[in-house]
Amino acid sequence: MGEIRFDDLEDVKRFIKEIFYGREEERNDQDEPPRGGKPKKASRNHLKGGLGGIIIILFLVFLGTGIYQVGPDEEAVLLRFGQYSKTVGPGMHWYFPNPIGKRYVVKTTKVYRVEIGFETVEAGPPARYQNIPEESLMFTGDENMIDVDFSVQYKISNLKDYIFNVRDQYETIKSASESALRQVVGSKGIEETLTVGKEGIQEETREKLKEILDSYGTGIMIIGLQLQDVGPPEEVMQAFKEVANAREDRARFINEADGYRNDIIPNARGQASQMINRAEAYKEKRVKESQGDVAKFIKLSEKYSLGKEVTKTRMYLETMEKTMPGIEKIIIDPKLKGSIINLIGGGVEANEKINN
Amino acid sequence: MKKLIISILALIVIISSTSLFQVSEIENAVVIRLGKPKEVVTEPGLYVKLPFVDNVRYFDKRLLNYDAAPKGIIIKGKKSIVIDNYARWRITDPLLFLQSVQNIAGAQARLDDIVYSELRREMGKYTLSEIISSKRDLIMENVTAESKSKAKSSGIEIIDVRIKRVELPKENEQNIYKRMEAERNQQAKKYRAEGREKSLEITSQADQEKTIILAEAYRKSEELKGEGDAQALEIYADAYNRDPEFYKFMKTLEAYEKIMDNKTKVILSTDSELWNMLQTK
Repeated sequence: MGEIRFDDLEDVKRFIKEIFYGREEERNDQDEPPRGGKPKKASRNHLKGGLGGIIIILFLVFLGTGIYQVGPDEEAVLLRFGQYSKTVGPGMHWYFPNPIGKRYVVKTTKVYRVEIGFETVEAGPPARYQNIPEESLMFTGDENMIDVDFSVQYKISNLKDYIFNVRDQYETIKSASESALRQVVGSKGIEETLTVGKEGIQEETREKLKEILDSYGTGIMIIGLQLQDVGPPEEVMQAFKEVANAREDRARFINEADGYRNDIIPNARGQASQMINRAEAYKEKRVKESQGDVAKFIKLSEKYSLGKEVTKTRMYLETMEKTMPGIEKIIIDPKLKGSIINLIGGGVEANEKINN
Repeated sequence: MKKLIISILALIVIISSTSLFQVSEIENAVVIRLGKPKEVVTEPGLYVKLPFVDNVRYFDKRLLNYDAAPKGIIIKGKKSIVIDNYARWRITDPLLFLQSVQNIAGAQARLDDIVYSELRREMGKYTLSEIISSKRDLIMENVTAESKSKAKSSGIEIIDVRIKRVELPKENEQNIYKRMEAERNQQAKKYRAEGREKSLEITSQADQEKTIILAEAYRKSEELKGEGDAQALEIYADAYNRDPEFYKFMKTLEAYEKIMDNKTKVILSTDSELWNMLQTK
């Protein structure tokens, strides 16, 4: 096997230096110490070594092109005469140069991202996006249109499949994602899509996409699929906002009604308590007063029974004394008839005068 | 000596570059001898051919993308829609492929014919809403199956045909928007009406409760008042029944006191008990 492993760049330098070391010793007209690492420079220095030397140097340069580096996030697939030979991890490596060997170095731990319906113009912050309506506008199952932006994150799970099975991997993933999402959204109504269905659509699309990509043998693993922005198309945005407003209005109407209710019910209860309390008071008053009246009556009647005539006369006269002083009195002897009418008439006139 | 080595090296390079060829993991090759296909190589590796006489053509064996430009299609009910689809395919028989479509560009044209005609035929059976939702899977399956069998004769295997976008021509799109708008407006009206409905329900219920509360309070208060009156009546009756005559006398006197004020004019006869002394004395 023709592979020599280098753990780092220093190993490579040493290796190249060693190749040249012997030759440098033979030569006397060279003052400069050997400088490794740059075969091209070396070849210029050894022009005098003759044609054979040139060939050897060219051969070494050729071998040197077999040195390659695999980054910490990369893996390399190696082909020898077109045939798969092996997959190697990070580090400095050597493998047969072209045309004997061929290598594909790919970032395998990186999470790749496909954007559909939009394009990140500037990663920001603040990030700027460009909408791509022909990708984002789609039909829902009830023949409405919505605007969906989404992105898919994926990783290479099988590098061999990734390289050998599919050409245009990115396009493949993008087309499949678009098709899957449209299929899923096409099975849902607009109401569901815009409100509660987002999670479900995400999950379903992801499943579908996985199914499609597995059937292609892409060697790709879907890590995530996010619906970034789901909304009505620009043209009908206003109408949708209006619906949102109406929904708010509905809540407001109900709130106001609740407010009204919360106002009048306690009020009514208060009023009711008031009425009852007043009635209670009235009842007590009536009872107590009657008891008082009765107590007075009983007291008087006891006195009365002691000497009925005397008491009666006394009470009568006392009442008269009390009531008579303030009022107009006309005392007539029944024998003097005739003048009564005049007296009353005069009196009425006098009264009218007072009233006027 | 040096020259000999150099010549040998040069010869090796020339021979190897003209008589050796590689086939990679991602491709198949067809060896053509003087214009006639001689051999198909499907395994990757290093192979030998006759220099200058044999010619090698390579064919990608990976999954390939066919993404057609959006096309108009007439569907059920003479409606026209615009459809954008894609297909995954691969070259399974390089020789057949070479003979029938030559290269990928030729294959794309062939796929265009096959897939488009299948799509047109299949989609013509359905309405828009069926295409969007319920029959989408079925259409894709049928088109895939049909296209698959037709493309076989070109050495092509179609893995699947999938619908990407379904669109309406611009003028129909406007109709959709109008309809959506109308639907939304209805929805908005419905929400508001529902709000009012609920609001009326709540307020009227509150009013009802209020009325009941007050009526109940009225009932109770009147009852209480009645009780008070009744109790008072009973108390009075109990007491006054002991001495009705005195009661009448006393009440009459009390009534006088209340009735007579400074506007009262009384005409009294000297016959009355109070004044009769005016005569007799």
